[in-house]
Amino acid sequence: MLTVTLLAKWEGIILIGGFVCAVVWKLATGEISLGYLLYGDARAYRGASQQTFFSSGRAQMLLSTVMVAGYYLLQVIQDPTHFPDVPNELVVALGGSHAIYLAGKAQSLYLGRIRDLVSLLNRRQQ
Amino acid sequence: MRNIEFWASLLLAIVAAFIIAIWVPGQADQKVVHAIEYAGLVITFLFGFMILAAIASGKIDISRILEEKGSDGGGASMSRFQLLIFTFVVAISLLLIVVNSHDFPKEIPAGVLTLLGISATTYAVSKGIQTGAEDGNGSPAPPPAGGVTHTTVVAPPAGGSSVTHTTGVNPPANAV
Repeated sequence: MLTVTLLAKWEGIILIGGFVCAVVWKLATGEISLGYLLYGDARAYRGASQQTFFSSGRAQMLLSTVMVAGYYLLQVIQDPTHFPDVPNELVVALGGSHAIYLAGKAQSLYLGRIRDLVSLLNRRQQ
Repeated sequence: MRNIEFWASLLLAIVAAFIIAIWVPGQADQKVVHAIEYAGLVITFLFGFMILAAIASGKIDISRILEEKGSDGGGASMSRFQLLIFTFVVAISLLLIVVNSHDFPKEIPAGVLTLLGISATTYAVSKGIQTGAEDGNGSPAPPPAGGVTHTTVVAPPAGGSSVTHTTGVNPPANAV
């Protein structure tokens, strides 16, 4: 007879695996768009209200996120009996990376890009 | 009365309860416990599978799950993407641990909670920054696409005098 634990195990595998597969499939086919993932909006001073630019803050956050998530998943796969400990250095690195992203986003949306700010200040000084 | 699925499910549940009570061997209290366990699992599975099937078939639209609010052209949001990655990583980890140890973890380490906390906080702060900028603290929100059509009909003036009609746009369309 099918035991409760076996049933719960397969139920979890089917549901969580199904959700992951559905999202990954939609990402792979482009139904969930990843366009402009590494591009941010910035305040513009002339003409258009906003401008789009390649954001290095987003790029470094993507790298750190993928690295930390991959590291954690590999740790679990190697020893799937308990949640592995996360080194403090890794947590600090991830927090710093996210802080840089947020600071960059706030700066670009509220003040504009640094090069635009500098040129604006130069024009005012002349 | 109109929902036939509800009444069919209720009838099926009552029939199943009678079958378990009369024909399944064992103590009555054990049978009740097992019946509740199996019923809970089946209901949870059907509920989850219904949502999963709706997502897969497109009935529940998740195509804009990563879209950043207010961005031109609907660009993907990095904060949403990293939250999705961390949620999936922790969910898969929990599943692997439960499947291998046949038990729910006794404690969730602070490191896992910190990872999820950093991820969720980044998403929340990012959303706050975006919304604050759109509300006028930073760059203004782009004007809605399309034009405005304004039609005024007046009666012809008596005595040959003219009619003056002035329309202003406030704020100007090219305001920065």
